[in-house]
Amino acid sequence: MWHTLTLYRRLMSVQMRSQMQYRTAFVLETLSTAVIVAVEFGSVALVLNRFGGIQGWTLAEVAFLYGMSETAFGFMDMIFAGFDPPVFGQHVRRGTFDQLLLRPINITTQVMGSEFTLRRLGKIALGLAIFAFAVQANQIIWTPLKLAYLPVVMFSLFLFFGGLFIIGATITFWTVDSIEVMNILTYGSSFTIDCPMTIYPDWIRRFFTFVVPVIFLSYYPSLYFLDRPELAEAPSFAPFLSPVVGVGLLLLALRFWHFGIRRYQSTGT
Amino acid sequence: MSIITVRNLRKEFKVSKHHRGMMGTLRNLTTREFTLVKAVDNIDFTIARGELVGYLGPNGAGKSTTIKMLTGLLTPTGGEVMVNGRVPHQQRQLYVQRIGAVFGQRTTLWWDLPVIESLELLRHIYRIPPDRYRQNLHEFTSLLEMESFLNTPVRSLSLGQRMRADICAALLHDPDLLFLDEPTIGLDVVAKERIREFVRHINSARGVTILLTTHDMADVERLCSRVMIIDHGRLLYDGRLQTLQDRFGGKRELVVDFAEPYPEVTVPGATLTHYHDLRATYEFERQTISASELIGLLSTQYRIRDLSVREPDIEGTIRRIYQEGLLTGDA
Repeated sequence: MWHTLTLYRRLMSVQMRSQMQYRTAFVLETLSTAVIVAVEFGSVALVLNRFGGIQGWTLAEVAFLYGMSETAFGFMDMIFAGFDPPVFGQHVRRGTFDQLLLRPINITTQVMGSEFTLRRLGKIALGLAIFAFAVQANQIIWTPLKLAYLPVVMFSLFLFFGGLFIIGATITFWTVDSIEVMNILTYGSSFTIDCPMTIYPDWIRRFFTFVVPVIFLSYYPSLYFLDRPELAEAPSFAPFLSPVVGVGLLLLALRFWHFGIRRYQSTGT
Repeated sequence: MSIITVRNLRKEFKVSKHHRGMMGTLRNLTTREFTLVKAVDNIDFTIARGELVGYLGPNGAGKSTTIKMLTGLLTPTGGEVMVNGRVPHQQRQLYVQRIGAVFGQRTTLWWDLPVIESLELLRHIYRIPPDRYRQNLHEFTSLLEMESFLNTPVRSLSLGQRMRADICAALLHDPDLLFLDEPTIGLDVVAKERIREFVRHINSARGVTILLTTHDMADVERLCSRVMIIDHGRLLYDGRLQTLQDRFGGKRELVVDFAEPYPEVTVPGATLTHYHDLRATYEFERQTISASELIGLLSTQYRIRDLSVREPDIEGTIRRIYQEGLLTGDA
């Protein structure tokens, strides 16, 4: 276990050093990941400003949800980059994944260590900036419990998105044709989570409550942090299920991943 | 003692039939039609510790499927495979610790890192004791003449340098068994020769068992006393290279330079294929007459200035085996 961890650290530092070799490219890419977030959030902000909010949510409140999830996604995208479905699909197709299977270390660690996209720092920085703005503008009444729970929610989002990447990567064992579908799965779900669930029709909300329970991931926690009135309609435990959903999806994803590897070994794409 | 034991090994792939065009795509989605491809069809062999065996076959014959099963990348459909005391696909991590593999077409090294740092990383991955690592590194880098590019990033290496670095990387952890897949592909003659020499050295001096797949018959000729030939998933031949050559090799040739012109130079047991300007070329079969008998016959009748015997090339022999299926049902 210790060996695996130190190895992961070594593999990661290799990735970082590789990226630093191309300094200009690195700076530009980091900026561009920030710009993408800025443009995306900017357009949401413009619309919200024009209509003075959405279903009773102010721009600052949406920013809270948005900043939290973008930051978590940014961290995940940096650390789980080896599982980014299009990237991983390439490894499978080119046979470089086989090279990893020939080394005597845990395969999940190796895939995690095969990429580390430092340029996501741009996205993370902007996510944090949006989040900081939201915290400032919403005048949140902080309690010790809220302060303690905030990182838990962030981490749960991080694990949840990581799970999505792993699921997407595993699907490439079967097909590499439908990369776009996997992008909908990963980037699509992150954008869905960025917005307050109240804006969606009932059936979508039910889907996200009972089928894929992402509503507990950041929406209910946000209601709790922001002391929103909708919280009264939900059971009192609703804001605290975030880690259950985050950890739960990651565990499911890992099971699927191991199933995928076994299947890969029997079919050899 | 055998290091590889393979019994009734089979691997079948389901290949889905793809229909083309719009309607075809719809059909692909609705009906799943498969054809069963037998990539490896009931093969048996054992390889003893310390052997250097050539594994030959045309593209798509089942070579890489076999190698993938031996290295644990693929689970067999049926049969047994036991390598180095383990079932490769079942105990992956423990198993790969004791083997090395070089796939000539891809590198296992980190693209942007200097060679030495990749090797350092492998030291940690395989938990090679520092002393052992230093000794091996020293020996391999000098034998493979790698000192000049140890600090060069892998992406800037020439193909020959990269191949040497990859071979070195595959051996640092003292594997018992080395899989070499096309280690000389795309290299120039000098680079090929250097790699062959090194391969021979680690086999004889260190006793590393080597399974070599290659399309380069010179590799086989220089390195392997035993060859296995696979085609259409079946093992066609398993035995000494020389025996293969004796039984299935084409005709040998004798080229003679006479000291003076003779109008008539035919000789029983050999066919004269060419005669011009004092030089005659004869073809003869190993079974009919030996080279020395033939030379003896000629020298009693003519004054000979010089002569040479040309052996049939292995490449031709193997090509004939692939094309004419010479060995089918006979192995």
